[in-house]
Amino acid sequence: MKRPSRLAAPLVTLLLLNLCLLTSVALAETVFVQSKTAKLRSGKTSLDSVVADLKFGESLEVLGKEGNWLEVQTARGAKGWIFAGKTTPTKPAGGEDDVLAKLGKSFRRTEAEDVTASAGARGLDKVSEGYANRVGITQQHRDAIDRMAAYRISDQEVEDFLKQGRLGEYAQ
Amino acid sequence: MRSKAWHLIRLLPVLTIIGLWSGCAEIQQVAEEQARRSGDERLAKIIHGSGTLVSGLLPISYEEEQSIGAAISLQVVARYGGVYDQPDLTRYLNLVGRAVALTCDRPDIPYHFAVLNSDSINAFAAPAGYVFVTRGLLKQIRNEAELAAVLGHEIAHVSQKHILEVVQRSKRLAGVSEAGLAYAHQNPDVFKNLIDAAAKKLLDEGLDQDKELEGDSLGEVFAARVGYDPTAYVTLLTRLRALKGDDRAFFKTHPNFSTRIHAVQQVIQTQGWKPTGVLLENRFARVRGKI
Repeated sequence: MKRPSRLAAPLVTLLLLNLCLLTSVALAETVFVQSKTAKLRSGKTSLDSVVADLKFGESLEVLGKEGNWLEVQTARGAKGWIFAGKTTPTKPAGGEDDVLAKLGKSFRRTEAEDVTASAGARGLDKVSEGYANRVGITQQHRDAIDRMAAYRISDQEVEDFLKQGRLGEYAQ
Repeated sequence: MRSKAWHLIRLLPVLTIIGLWSGCAEIQQVAEEQARRSGDERLAKIIHGSGTLVSGLLPISYEEEQSIGAAISLQVVARYGGVYDQPDLTRYLNLVGRAVALTCDRPDIPYHFAVLNSDSINAFAAPAGYVFVTRGLLKQIRNEAELAAVLGHEIAHVSQKHILEVVQRSKRLAGVSEAGLAYAHQNPDVFKNLIDAAAKKLLDEGLDQDKELEGDSLGEVFAARVGYDPTAYVTLLTRLRALKGDDRAFFKTHPNFSTRIHAVQQVIQTQGWKPTGVLLENRFARVRGKI
């Protein structure tokens, strides 16, 4: 009987290694951050320390999954856990003011500058104020829109609200 | 011998394209000034017109969206009894709304939430993040998860720019090549007509049914991402249907409840979501007496 070649064992090993590599490539999954505020944590609970603050739309390579948490690696190489509800399998479309809209603004800029300069923290600018004058909107309603636009709640207050309600990553 | 103006005419398409892609209005202005200096006022007007045409074809910028949103919001407030100012309720509404907005497809703009002093059952959104809920609708809501889904629906109208599409359509119908701030500043009648048309569509006729159903589907997704029970929205829509059936006049600016319930159930099924019981009834109950 012919003896197997001395090369057979290394070849089989190489083949198996390639198979493993192909399988891991096939399993590699990318998700994207789908939240304005998202934290990469050292463990899979909200009590674990924060490794990095993640940006909306940032891509993450999935390394593993446990319950509602994903173990991920960022493009910069940081590894940690993120609450799965803050990710999406498809790249979010929004996040920044549309490029075409910015282009339009540039073309209209010259005449628009003196109009937008007055906008500030108020809801009404010269144009909408002019509209209010034309259609006879009362001062009470104008003030209501101004107050609405000026109402401030920080991202931290929202985070505390989520924590208090045990929502999302704060669920127990 | 060919004039400078002739060279500028030949360069016009190139200048326009360069201007478009670089986002530089300066190039257009330089060409316009050059034409004016060469004594060709007609060419200067053509170059100016090309910029106007280009800007008219481009989407509305966020600054312009703010003017449009504030003007439409004035109409919403004026027609629905004004804003109901109850500090605890306003804060709670803004906390729930902003939690949901963090997970939407356009989280980088500020969202503002207010209660309308009206017993009718409805909610509205205006461009640039203005969201309104009537006291009538709040009285029908039983928990925070239901409220989150309602706000999610309205946030989706903003993030998907549904009302801005109406403005763009009105602009074309009115034969206006640009509905920007600059044009509106100089032509308040045009701005008024555009806002009146958009407000009529929003408040009287309702958005197109596919936009409303998209609002339901995305609102459901946004609220679920925050961590609320995904079945809460179906419960609310079913309760509202039981109240008045599928009478479109009852909730006249939206599709009938059966269609909406079906759309939300489809999302739940596709995502494979199960009831989680995260409704936060107690937290909602604390502000319920203030509605």
